[in-house]
Formats: sequence, structure tokens, C-alpha cells
Amino acid sequence: MGGNYLGRKAFQALVTLLFVLIVNFLLFRAMPGSAERILLRNPHISAEQLEAQRVRWGLNKPVFPDQLVDYLAATAQGDLGFSFEFRGQRVTDVILAKIGPTILLIGIGEVIALVLGLALGAYSGWRRGGPVDYVGTSLALVLYSMPSFWLGMILLIIFSTSLGMFPGNGMITPGITGDPLTRLADLMGHLILPGVTYAIGYVGQYSLLMRSSVIEVLAEDYVLTARAKGLTEGRILRSHGLPNALLPTVTLVAINLGYIWAGAITVEQVFSWPGLGTLTVSALGSRDYPVLQGIFLLLSFSVIAANFVADIIYSRLDPRVRS
Amino acid sequence: MSGTTLTASQLRAERWRLRLAGFRSFARRFASHPAGVVGVVIILFFGVMALAPELIAGPFENATRPSGTPLEAPSSAHVLGTDEQGRDVLNLVVHGARISLAVGLLASAITIILGAGIGIIAGFFGGRVDTILMRITDFFLILPTFVLALVLAPIIIDVFGVGTEVFGIRMTLVAIIVVIGLTSWASTARIIRAQALSIKERAFVDRARVIGAGPSRIMIRHILPNVMSLIVANTVLVIASSILTETTLSFVGLGDPQSPTWGTTLHYAQVTGAPGSGAWWYTASPGVAIVLVVLAFTLIGNALDDTLNPKLKARR
Repeated sequence: MGGNYLGRKAFQALVTLLFVLIVNFLLFRAMPGSAERILLRNPHISAEQLEAQRVRWGLNKPVFPDQLVDYLAATAQGDLGFSFEFRGQRVTDVILAKIGPTILLIGIGEVIALVLGLALGAYSGWRRGGPVDYVGTSLALVLYSMPSFWLGMILLIIFSTSLGMFPGNGMITPGITGDPLTRLADLMGHLILPGVTYAIGYVGQYSLLMRSSVIEVLAEDYVLTARAKGLTEGRILRSHGLPNALLPTVTLVAINLGYIWAGAITVEQVFSWPGLGTLTVSALGSRDYPVLQGIFLLLSFSVIAANFVADIIYSRLDPRVRS
Repeated sequence: MSGTTLTASQLRAERWRLRLAGFRSFARRFASHPAGVVGVVIILFFGVMALAPELIAGPFENATRPSGTPLEAPSSAHVLGTDEQGRDVLNLVVHGARISLAVGLLASAITIILGAGIGIIAGFFGGRVDTILMRITDFFLILPTFVLALVLAPIIIDVFGVGTEVFGIRMTLVAIIVVIGLTSWASTARIIRAQALSIKERAFVDRARVIGAGPSRIMIRHILPNVMSLIVANTVLVIASSILTETTLSFVGLGDPQSPTWGTTLHYAQVTGAPGSGAWWYTASPGVAIVLVVLAFTLIGNALDDTLNPKLKARR
């Protein structure tokens, strides 16, 4: 039964991935900067030259199936074409160069969000209707209504421009020298504001889910049994409530791991963090379509993979879903 | 029951009386959600701002022409200070209300029409139609739609040209509206489909079919009215998220400088380095407007959901 379940999920993930690739392929045909149209804009180009270019890029072949197959084969080999903005650089290289800083930022942000969100949510659900629950739930609603980049701008004004506590720009102080510890401290200083901005956006989401999950679990029969056995409330929460309440958050975290890239786009922009988000915005400004589509492909792939992983983890933790 | 045969006009009057009574009871139940009432008050305030900005700030020209020195701090002349060109920020924010709200509302209209349409059709027909439509829906649910919107918007703008207008709306805004609509209908479709599935099993749908009503008539006259309460509550929540998405798209530079929304204003604040130069009034003002409007729509949406769909409350 288990193999069957995983097989079905894997098949679904592959079909979705194929969909994404086809959408990306169609976007390439629709976009105004395709190689052929750029060539056509040059009035001095002869018909023979144009034809040679068309053959070189495979544009003389029928769109379906030949061009589609070529596209799929090239993509499978990691060939996403060349960037418009960074002449002569492969899209794959342009994107790979920016992945590290983004992973660092969202990694730190995600850890802060998880710790704060789960703790706040668990406590709010446990002491439902209490002051922490009331303030926390209202705060989560306000945070949900707030564009995270705006929160970042405000934090930057307060803690960087006015108080001067943290640098508000970039990842490393330019030209910094010294021992690795000094440089690490410099990096951490730069990381704090964008990391916290990023995390606050997700704290609300995690705490709301954890809260409702704890409330649901505490109404279960086995909690009543535990209470009848004479366990203390704290013990019930720790041994019976939390382990079960964490189940849905595992899925949410796994799925979020796919989406978080998108959340980093605007936050990186505010703090000039040299990652994928800043790359996305600059590619938008210069209409660097190959890079934009490469980023879209990367993010879609990570979302699909994250969903698949979430399904696997969940079926391990909770065998009931497999049947 | 003698003498109770109603004339056409009495019947109409009676219908109106029932409608009014229904609305009164709805209003009473809605009013029992204080948060929802606060939301309505906030939206009324911004609604006036959008319809008659001249009442609160000066004419539109003041929002496009400098009236002070660059980045002036708030004073009695400029209550919310000035931007990098010396334009009055209060004016910018007040005049941004109409465009921000219009883009949000139009994008939500596309989202809801697509979502409700696909949901009702999938739920009503079932079978293969349902399978195909729900596969597409799942695809849009799983995709990072914000990134898809980011890629699509410039393509639409470049293909149709920046200068063109559709129904008097500039192409950049049209692209943003269409892109938000195209990428955010999936969750609405899921919600509506689930409800349509249960409604089509009710007896009155069978009766309609027996007296010869076709599928489109049944969907429009019998299923649509019964999912309307879900659509209404969902629409209000969709407006909130559309405004947020528009803000973000404009912030990364896809907005139209000629018709600035709050997101576009924040974009220029960011690009000209307002946060780094401590111009908090320039950064804070449009953001506060966004947070208030989105929060208000969310509060109204939640209150409507509780009022109109009380049965679903137990589920959450």
C-alpha cells in the first residue's frame, strides 16, 4: 500500500513538473524578446543570415513536437539559455551565483519564524482566550495584512538609519578585513534586519496553525484519558498535545520551504541583499526574460519537490493518510 | 385562507418586505461582530477618499507637481511631508486610494468570475470535466503564482505596448489586473466546487431538471444563488489579497508612474533611498494606508463568513 501511495504522489509531481515546463516553453514563444524577433529588428540582416540563425537556434523546426522536445532535453541538462543582461553568461550560472545568500537569509528567517511561531501558537491554543492568545491572534491578523517589504523599510528606518544599531545595506561591509570571527560578526549584523523582517511575516502563519491544531488535539479523547489519569496540564500538553499538534505544521513547513524563495524577493530588495530576489528585480528592470524564466522554473521545481517531500514525511508520521 | 389571493403588485410588495426583513436580520447578525463593523468604517473612509479625493487633499495636480522642497519633514504646510521631488505625500496617498482600490477590485472581479465559474462547472458536471478542471486548479494552487505573475506582467506590457489603453485604463495597470486575476482564482474554484457538489444533489435541482431546465439554466438560476453567500465572503477576502499582490508587484517596479498606487509610491520611496535618509513620513504613509485597507477587508471578510456561512464555522 505504501509503495502505491508514494508512486501515485511521484507521478502527480512529475505531471505537474511537465505542466510547468510546457508553460515555460509557451512563455518563451510569447515573449517579445525571442531570438528571431530580435534578429528581425535589425534592418541590415539578409534573408540568408536570418535563415542561418534560424537553423542555428533550431527555429526552423516545427514548434511542436521538435522545438518542445529540444527545449525539454536542454532544460533537463541544466541549459536554460543565455542572460540578456549579463551578455554571454549562462542563465544557470547567473542564478547559481546568487543562490547562496538567499539560502542563508531564508534559512535564518525560517528558524526564527518556526521557534517564535510554534511557541506562541502552542501557548495561545493552550491558554485559549487568555491575554497572550488575544494579543497574539490580533497581532497575527495585522501582520498578515502587512506587506513584509514595508515592515522591512520601517525596521530599517528605526534600527539602521535612526538608531544605527545594524547595517541596513548589503551582506558584507565592503573592503572588510580581519580574522574570520570579525567577518562572521559583520555578516551576522547584516543578516539580523532582513532575517527578522522575513521571519515576522511567517510567525503569524505558524502561530495561527499551531494554535488551532493544539485546540483541536486538546479536545481529543486521549487527552481526556490523560486528564483522568491525573496528569498535570503541563504534562498533558508536552506528552500528548504537542507531538500530535505538530503533525499539520510539518506539512506547512515543508510546503513553505518551496514558497519561501518568493517571499525573499521583496525583502532582499529593501536591504540590497545580494541574492535571488535582488537578481529577480534587476532582471525585471532590464527585461532579462531568460533569467526571469529560469528563476520561475527553479522556484516551481522547489515547490513541487517540497510538496512531494511533505507528502512522504506526512505518510511516515501519520500512516492513516496512506489508506 | 379565503381572500388571500395576492395581486401582482401585492406580491411584489411582499417580496420587497421579505427582502428588507432578511437584510435587517443579516445586518443585525453582522453588527454583532465588532471587528467587522470597524472594517466597514475603515472602508467607508477610504471609499470617500477614492471617490472624492479633493475633499481631503488638494486637486490631482498637487499630487503630480512639486509644491515644496524635496524630502521635507511633516509640517503644517505638508502634514505628511514631501517626497524626493517635493510633492506633497498626503496628496500622493489620498490620490493613490482610487487607483489602488480600483486595481484591487477589478483584479478580484476577474478572480471571482474565473474561480466561481470554474468551480460551479466542475462541481455541476462532475466526471471528466471535473477531473480536468481540478487538475488545472491544483496546478495553479501548487505553483508559486506570485513569481508567475512577475514573469507574465512584463510580457503582457511589452507585447501590447506601454502607451496603449483598455477602457481608459493604462496598459501597465491592465497587465497587473489581468495577471493577478489569472493567477489567484484557484482557491476560490476549490471552495465553490465543494459547495456546488453538494447542492446539485438537492431535490430542487432534480425538480428543475425534470421540468426541462438545461444545464446552463440550472447552474445560473439554481446553483449560483445557493453558492452566492460563499462567493460574497470569499470576494471580500480576495480583494484584500489582490491589493497586497498589487502592492508587491508595483513595489518591484511593475507599476505605472503616471497613475501611482500606494505600492508605486513605496517603490519610488525605496528607489530614491527614502528609508536610508530617514524620510519615515514618505515610507510610512502609503504603508499605513495599505495595512488599514487590507486589514479592514480581512475583518469584513471574516465577519461575513461567520454571518453568511454559520454552518461552516464548526469546521474551522
